[in-house]
Amino acid sequence: MLGLPLSFAAPAILFGLAALPVIWWLLRLTPPKPRTEIFPPLRLLAQVMKHEETPARSPWWLTLLRLLMATLVILALARPVLNPVADIATGDGPLALLVDNGWSTGRDWDARMAQAAQLVEKAHEAGRTVALAFTVAPDNAQVALAKPTDLLPVLAAATPIAAKPDRVAAVNRLAAALADAPPASLAWLSDGLAASERDETLSAINALDLSEVLLFDAGIDDLRAIRGVDNTPTGFNVRVQGPDGLSTGADPVPVSAFDEKGRLLAETAALFEDGSAEATARFEVPFELRNDFATIRIAGQQQAGGVWLVDENSRRRRVGLLTGQAGDLDQPLLSPLYYIQRALQPFADLVEGKTGDLSVDVPALLEQGPAMIVMADIGVLPEAASQALAEWVEDGGTLVRFAGPRLAATAGDDPLLPVEMRLGERTLGGSLSWTEPQPVAAFPGNGPFGGLEAPREVTVNRQVLAEPGLDLAARTWANLADGTPLVTGAARGDGTLVLFHVTAEATWSNLPISGSFVEMLRRIANLSRNTGAIQPGNSGVEAEALAPYRILGADGELTTPPSHVRPLDAAASATPASYTHPAGLYGTADGFVARNVLVADDTLSPLGTPAFQAASTVFAYDSGEESDLRGPLFLIALALLALDTLAVLWINGRLRLFGKGRVGMRETGHVAAALALAVVAVALTVAMPALAQESDERPGDAEIVELLETTRLAYVKSGNPDTDDVSAAGLWGLTRYLESRTALEPAEPVGLDLETDELTFYPLIYFPIDITAPMPSEAAISRLDAFMQGGGTVLFDTRDQLTASFAGAASSPENERLRDILRGLNIPPLEPVPPDHVLTKAFYILDRFPGRYDGSPLWVEASATQETVEDRPVRSGDGVTPIMITGNDLAAAWALDESGRPVFPTMSSDPLQRIYAFRAGVNIMMYMLTGNYKADQVHVPALLERLGQ
Amino acid sequence: MATVGARHSPEDRSDALARARLRAALVPDLLIEARRIVTTVIAGWHGRRKRGIGETFWQFRPYVAGETLAKIDWRRSARDDHTYVRDMEWEAAHTVWLWADPSESMLFKSRAATVSKESRALVLTLALAELLSRSGERIGYPGLLKPVAARNGAERLAMALASSHALTLPDKPQLDMVKRYSDVVLVSDFLDPPEETLADLDAIAKRGARMHLLEVADPAEEVFPYAGRTEFEDPETGVRLTAGRAEHWGEAYQTIYHARREALRDYCRRLDWSFAVNRTDRLASEALVSLHGRLTGQPAARQTTARGAA
Repeated sequence: MLGLPLSFAAPAILFGLAALPVIWWLLRLTPPKPRTEIFPPLRLLAQVMKHEETPARSPWWLTLLRLLMATLVILALARPVLNPVADIATGDGPLALLVDNGWSTGRDWDARMAQAAQLVEKAHEAGRTVALAFTVAPDNAQVALAKPTDLLPVLAAATPIAAKPDRVAAVNRLAAALADAPPASLAWLSDGLAASERDETLSAINALDLSEVLLFDAGIDDLRAIRGVDNTPTGFNVRVQGPDGLSTGADPVPVSAFDEKGRLLAETAALFEDGSAEATARFEVPFELRNDFATIRIAGQQQAGGVWLVDENSRRRRVGLLTGQAGDLDQPLLSPLYYIQRALQPFADLVEGKTGDLSVDVPALLEQGPAMIVMADIGVLPEAASQALAEWVEDGGTLVRFAGPRLAATAGDDPLLPVEMRLGERTLGGSLSWTEPQPVAAFPGNGPFGGLEAPREVTVNRQVLAEPGLDLAARTWANLADGTPLVTGAARGDGTLVLFHVTAEATWSNLPISGSFVEMLRRIANLSRNTGAIQPGNSGVEAEALAPYRILGADGELTTPPSHVRPLDAAASATPASYTHPAGLYGTADGFVARNVLVADDTLSPLGTPAFQAASTVFAYDSGEESDLRGPLFLIALALLALDTLAVLWINGRLRLFGKGRVGMRETGHVAAALALAVVAVALTVAMPALAQESDERPGDAEIVELLETTRLAYVKSGNPDTDDVSAAGLWGLTRYLESRTALEPAEPVGLDLETDELTFYPLIYFPIDITAPMPSEAAISRLDAFMQGGGTVLFDTRDQLTASFAGAASSPENERLRDILRGLNIPPLEPVPPDHVLTKAFYILDRFPGRYDGSPLWVEASATQETVEDRPVRSGDGVTPIMITGNDLAAAWALDESGRPVFPTMSSDPLQRIYAFRAGVNIMMYMLTGNYKADQVHVPALLERLGQ
Repeated sequence: MATVGARHSPEDRSDALARARLRAALVPDLLIEARRIVTTVIAGWHGRRKRGIGETFWQFRPYVAGETLAKIDWRRSARDDHTYVRDMEWEAAHTVWLWADPSESMLFKSRAATVSKESRALVLTLALAELLSRSGERIGYPGLLKPVAARNGAERLAMALASSHALTLPDKPQLDMVKRYSDVVLVSDFLDPPEETLADLDAIAKRGARMHLLEVADPAEEVFPYAGRTEFEDPETGVRLTAGRAEHWGEAYQTIYHARREALRDYCRRLDWSFAVNRTDRLASEALVSLHGRLTGQPAARQTTARGAA
């Protein structure tokens, strides 16, 4: 519609727009309602307002605003959709999805997947089944028709892989899935590249039974890829490939080089010449820096093809080792190559001569294209081998030689030496010599060893000497302290010759067993470059399989290898990057082989429009998701409504920011309030998911706080009102007594329903046993048990001392009830309060705990330690007893009426019994609240005595 | 949004009386300067600073032959050889006619005002009645109460106003009974066009009475706080007038409103009458004090009047 990617789901409603003129007419005729004001001096006002024409119509802009609002509402009701998905509902067969997830799809993978998800959802709406095939997939992947909803998770989990797509295999899988199905619609979400098997793919697709083909192709105009690098001696060339038919005047491609840690080392640009799809970016930086190149990237290309992984920098050079004597190979520990092997192994592939016959070994080594060949004390080379080696050095090989008796004997006419040598060796510090063994001087700063710390502990006993010459100093890479060269080197052609003037084993010097030896060899190896392509398998040494170390994601970033990546072996390395062997680094951190997506002869040719047999349509990937415009339209209409309200307010004169006089100021307040309301309403509409801060207050909090504020005595409501009244009055009496006698001032006692009330707020719960009341339920008893286990105490009062004394304690019905209750509780062993228990001393000194009756003992938890020390006045007894049992009817003794008089007479004529009952209550409460603190107080006299008081 | 002003129910008379008493208590006893002698002398409490019939001693003067012997003050005459007559100060009551505008427009009260105009007018009238009757003046209400000198003049007036007869009073005062040298206090909003008002006043002026005009104004009438599309309604006639943007007319209206007031003020000044303005968002006592000053001829009250008119 109008060139916009816009469609309406309910276009019929758009006819409502025809009603707009009517709305306009109505709006014009309906002015805003005036405010009616009584105004006594109207006649005066009428004199000045005589010529006033009252506007009977709305202002035109208000009408326009309202018409716009109506239009928006009508449009919104028509359900406009921006970026509607390609209409695939024409067919009724299954939908076949062919998704390219190769190396170039990483840059817009999300858009592709959104497109795929939309297609699947459309298929779901149309009730079609879907077959989904990825072009980069395991060889044994299966494709089957599935419900669209089942495929959405598969789509969400799919990732692009830095590998070349195998479309034929994917189409074949689709063909298997669609074998018995009606004509299907094929949606090919292509990467836009015509791979080498374009024709095969096309024929495979045409072999399918298709009703239509939807080809999604985003084009590859902006695709740039690296298809090779070339580390020449003078520069580092990166070959950048653009798509075929690249228009002239294409922008230069910025190329950057990064080291292993991702630090930027160098930047350059590749310039496409007219008509050429290939360009070369050249880094002209020192070779040390070039050797640190680990990753070459094209800036702005978020795909695997824009990245080239470099592996032949300092690691994994192939190093050939040669020794002159076959016997050296039989005794590895004595072999002159032993220390070299140990030094080079971490970062180089070592290839040794196998036979000991130099004429065989040298060509065999050279065939494998080593970067460096180390020769230990080889005097004479066969002529052919010497020739081959010389050529190899000329072509860029690095030949490292070590001196030895044989070299010393034949050094004079050896062409593969950097400097001219004197015959024979020089002995330092021997028994016949007056010279001392020489240490190594500091390395020259401009040589290859510059910056290395010279090994101070290394001494040289013997060496071969170079003929003094004009260029000797320039060729000397390391010196002894007396100035004689230790290592010399010279360029020969593109290659380098290096000579260590000592042996490779520790006979002439202890250099080979020093740490510097490794560093020196590594420096030399850094200088070298492989003379042939290395791939696992062509070494001929052994068929090594390199585990994946880092895998290149399709977005061009190195990641840890996913589980589907298999170790790279010789067979796999010969094939292009695939699902099981995507591009990345294989090996270990110390040495790895890089595997890149493109190879040297790859080109990027656009897919174009293949000649499908079925009707085909080409789509671009949608820039955005299909979005429903209803929400925004309604939102705008709402905003206009708010605007309209403000406008009406303004017309009615209520939107004056500065009113005249005091009356106007009041108006301003109202307007400000209305404005604030409007702003809040709009803000709420826009920020729908704003969360209200919830209060963490819960119902009942106030009651809990009230209960917690002061200590309270509590009793269990038995359900018998008489008993409950006695309990309440008794605890109230005890409360009054506590207030008058102690620092404890409890609040009103509380009656508890064991079934429902929270028990944890009370230190002591008085539980009168009443046989007329129903037995507490299991749940109530378990709550009581939890209360006791949690540190609370329950005072059971059977109130049967009088009756039990006649009938015997065992048979009292209250006792039976108590036993029933206690059966559900975890009751510790009990004992009557012993005379040395804290309860007898907690506040008053007591020897009994009478209530209304006297004589029933107070049972408490038995103290753990039975053996009592004689001079200890009180038991230490940690913890407070969770249970107390008495039969003395304490509450009846405590019970006071409103005027403070006792309610019940005590059973004894002793007037002190009530006093003692109260004191017992005070002691119990003190014991509850202070625990065994009082048990320690008895030591105070002893402490004071000790202090000399 | 609420309207600026509204019509209020008529004030309860007894309540107005109570409030009037409160106001009157704030004002000292009202003594009207009687500059004119009224021929119909009735005993009152105004000292006329002349000898005449009264109860207060004024002067001793030598006996003139022919006077009644009963007038001779023998105690004074015994002091010397002359015979003296005790003269009393002439005391005369003054008639003050009070009138409050009963018209519909007086029921208006805007939000800025504390009371309606009618309420304010009644309170002022009754307060004056209280003051005047306290000082022995005769107060009357045209059409409702004949001039009467009584301690409870304010109550009587309130009773009369509360009677059903008060509801039938015309909107214009019936001043037929006003005689010369009487004082007439008119409390109204004077919102009629000034030429009509002045014509009525001319008729009264011919009777020789002294007029005191007290304009009760609502702040909304004076400030004109209206804005936007507003429909104005006349409470008396019900005529409606719609203004598209009311604030545009504020200035012109204020001009004509104040011109009306100035016309009245000029008219009063020319005749040596008094004219005061009381806004219903100000205190009633201000107007009462101002009017009190006018009735006693004390010019100090000018300031209050000026402020009230501002």
